[in-house]
Amino acid sequence: MTPTPNTAQPAPVLGLDRVTRRYGSLTAVDEVSLRLPAGARHAVIGPNGAGKTTLLNLVAGTDRPDHGTIALNGTDVTRASTAKRSRLGIARSFQQPSVIAELTVLDNIVLAGWVHHPKRRGAWRSRSRYRLHTESALHHLETVGLADLAHRPASTLSHGQRRMLDLAAALAGDPRLLLLDEPAAGLTDGDIGRLLAILGALPPSVAVVLVEHHVEVVAQVATSVTVLAAGRVLVTGPTGEALAHPEVRDAYRNPLQPLVTDSPDARG
Amino acid sequence: MELLDAHLVPAVDGVAYGLLLFVVAAGLSLAFGTAGVLNLSHGMLYAIGAYTGTELSDGTWGGLALGLAAGTAAAALAGAGLSAATVPLARRGHLAQALLTFGTALVGGDLLIQFFGADELPVRVPGALDSSVHLLGHRYPAYRLCFIAMAVALAAFGTWVLTRTRVGAAVRASADDPQMLAATGHNPRAVHTGVLAAAGALAGAAGVLGAPIIGPGPGTSENVLMLSLVVVVLGGLRSLWATLAASVAVGEVQTLGVSVLPDLAPYLLFAAMAAVLVFRSRFTEPEAHEERGPSSDPVSRLRRLLAARWENRPRAAAPAPTAPARLGAWLHSAGWRQAVPLLVLLAVLFALPGVLDPYSISLAGSALALGLLAVSVTVLTGYAGLPTLGQTAPFAVGAYATANLADAGWTAGPVQIVLSALAAAVFSAVTGPAVIRARGTTVLMITLAVGELTSAVINQVKSVTGGADGLVGFPATRALWSGEGMTEERELYVYAAVVAVVAVALTLLVLRSPAGKLLTGTRGAEARMRASGHPVGRYLLVAHICAGALAGVGGSLMVTVQQYLSPADVGFEIAAFALLAVVIGGTTSVIGALLGAGLIVFTRDWVAGSWPGHGPLLLGALFIAAVYLLPRGLAGLRTAVGRPATAVSTGKAAP
Repeated sequence: MTPTPNTAQPAPVLGLDRVTRRYGSLTAVDEVSLRLPAGARHAVIGPNGAGKTTLLNLVAGTDRPDHGTIALNGTDVTRASTAKRSRLGIARSFQQPSVIAELTVLDNIVLAGWVHHPKRRGAWRSRSRYRLHTESALHHLETVGLADLAHRPASTLSHGQRRMLDLAAALAGDPRLLLLDEPAAGLTDGDIGRLLAILGALPPSVAVVLVEHHVEVVAQVATSVTVLAAGRVLVTGPTGEALAHPEVRDAYRNPLQPLVTDSPDARG
Repeated sequence: MELLDAHLVPAVDGVAYGLLLFVVAAGLSLAFGTAGVLNLSHGMLYAIGAYTGTELSDGTWGGLALGLAAGTAAAALAGAGLSAATVPLARRGHLAQALLTFGTALVGGDLLIQFFGADELPVRVPGALDSSVHLLGHRYPAYRLCFIAMAVALAAFGTWVLTRTRVGAAVRASADDPQMLAATGHNPRAVHTGVLAAAGALAGAAGVLGAPIIGPGPGTSENVLMLSLVVVVLGGLRSLWATLAASVAVGEVQTLGVSVLPDLAPYLLFAAMAAVLVFRSRFTEPEAHEERGPSSDPVSRLRRLLAARWENRPRAAAPAPTAPARLGAWLHSAGWRQAVPLLVLLAVLFALPGVLDPYSISLAGSALALGLLAVSVTVLTGYAGLPTLGQTAPFAVGAYATANLADAGWTAGPVQIVLSALAAAVFSAVTGPAVIRARGTTVLMITLAVGELTSAVINQVKSVTGGADGLVGFPATRALWSGEGMTEERELYVYAAVVAVVAVALTLLVLRSPAGKLLTGTRGAEARMRASGHPVGRYLLVAHICAGALAGVGGSLMVTVQQYLSPADVGFEIAAFALLAVVIGGTTSVIGALLGAGLIVFTRDWVAGSWPGHGPLLLGALFIAAVYLLPRGLAGLRTAVGRPATAVSTGKAAP
């Protein structure tokens, strides 16, 4: 079950051990185990209802598993709150981009990076300290290309811009593990190009877990893939092998092979 | 066996009572669960049925039948009218509906008293039932046994319609997916009207038949509404059987509970309600559609037209950056525009004693106290996203703390204010964990329970609160440590104004600081805030405690200004007024909340002074007018007039 065996790092960034989540009689995530080393680029794919988002929610802490353990850098976080996990270095984007519509684009990012900022003490009452936060927030907005809109209310953003803002909010915490829930859904081709550039420019130490339907994005970003079906791991392995799995090819009914061979495999 | 024997009559009474509540609550549940209308005038519909039935019943079977037909029809008609009234509010969430239906209840209650008088009417039942039968060795009123049978029949008929007929299927479908219902050729509007008419009919029929049990009188509406709210919360919205079980349980608490545990009974209902809400999140609600699309009602069309006119007026060219221009730029900056209403309000506040008579001045002082309560509700409702009907609880703690402090000789104003705020803050810290777990309408219900529980405590702990008589005759507050106690209206008003200005200024400072953004973020995108590592629960708890302290200061002021304290000053009605003041003010506007509270006191006490006894009617009319004319509250007026550019830029984005 280890996608990229790396014995040099004994404690993986993320370690899932037989994680199970049931809703009534439905087992959404069934005994899933996974070990991701620092800097992993891992994708989770599968048909609708396979348990991908549930798995992300379990890792992020918005949902708790019925069985199994979740470890972050060797620390057991199975019972830790979402906020605690965020402080330990897990960040996420949402399937429906989650932005604070009443606040400006800049304030959205300041709030997202707040807890992780080295000078967070006193920022809640002092405007000058709050202003310190805006500098790093602007930097993150530049990364996703929203710096020009920094002072617009987030409610005025288009869907693609909201996705980018959501992504910037995830990046604002300087995470060690980045969970992306369908970041390319609803994006134009140009936006997807930008998304790929942003993900390509992430520091090599950041581990990424990507849930995505766009096979092109998966092939470009991920070096390893887990395929879920009905909550169970169908196959885990390097991107090319996993996507070439017969059941995966059946599920997607796409000429995958050319895509995979075209993809840059520099990180593999 | 003897114990059982002694309690047989109240136990059977409880079943009758419970079945009555079941019929009423089924209507409330139907309106909320399937039409999405949180109908605070549901108790009024019961009262319509009860009054009509009582008026037409002459002690014959024919009279009862006529009363049943007329009462049911009248309440159904009122329900249909309510449906027409709520259609323009479909996109505006539950608070707008609460404003409308509460206003309707006030107006309707006043009209009913006009027609039928302020006394409880004697109820006549058909002669054959006006006797008693023997029930296991006890005499028991025949009517109640008959009522149990009738209520069972009514409940069975309703269940049959809902689950076994095409009409019922359409109603249930409209609850799940109105668009799909429309796509299958049903008119959702007709279903909406039908559901509310049916809900009204249920309440009306219950009113006619239940008049001998809960008779028609001025307090009927509120009593019935409260009890059926408890039933709906306890039973949930999904299952009629759960509603039935909850109704009978509530009925038993109200009858058997009172005779077995007279000391605990007042708390049982609302404690159960709070516990159920806190520990079970199954009380799912149909969320109002939050998209802010261009609404179609005529008033908002007019407003958009005006906004467009404003934008199209000729503008001067951009001035060169000279010194006067910089001043001009500052005058046009957001900071100045936010300061203008504050300064105007401040000027008016301190000019008032010069122009008003003593009575009006003391009213203005009360308005300030209620205003602080409303501001605390704004902090919770508008900023923290916790709509509350329970801020009267810390308000009451502050009020009774001040009255008791004064009684004990602590008459220095600052001491009273600080200690009252502290007491209220401690109280809010205790109740907070129960409140902040929930969101939306559930919070309204939990806080309602907290408020009602506090009222029950106030009525029971007579040594501290004076019970229903209230407190009076405690020494007057001194403005500072030295000096005489204040008794003159002008002095009291200035004291209240200074305290209120300081409290509001502090609140504004905190809300405008980054801390306010933390709360806004929590309300706007809670999942994002959690995922970014924010301890959201801690923020909400702090907000709840601070809002409680603010309400405590308001309570202290109220006691100081009016120099007596009665339980009605901290009851449900005041809680509702505070919430409605906030809705009128524009939900997120502190100044709007103050003005809303002022408007309510002005309408209830000052305008009604020239038309005695009609305060509720005028208030109801105010609420109804505010719902339609001020869709974004008083604060929306300023946005429309003062900031034409933003108003129109959003208007243009959605043509």
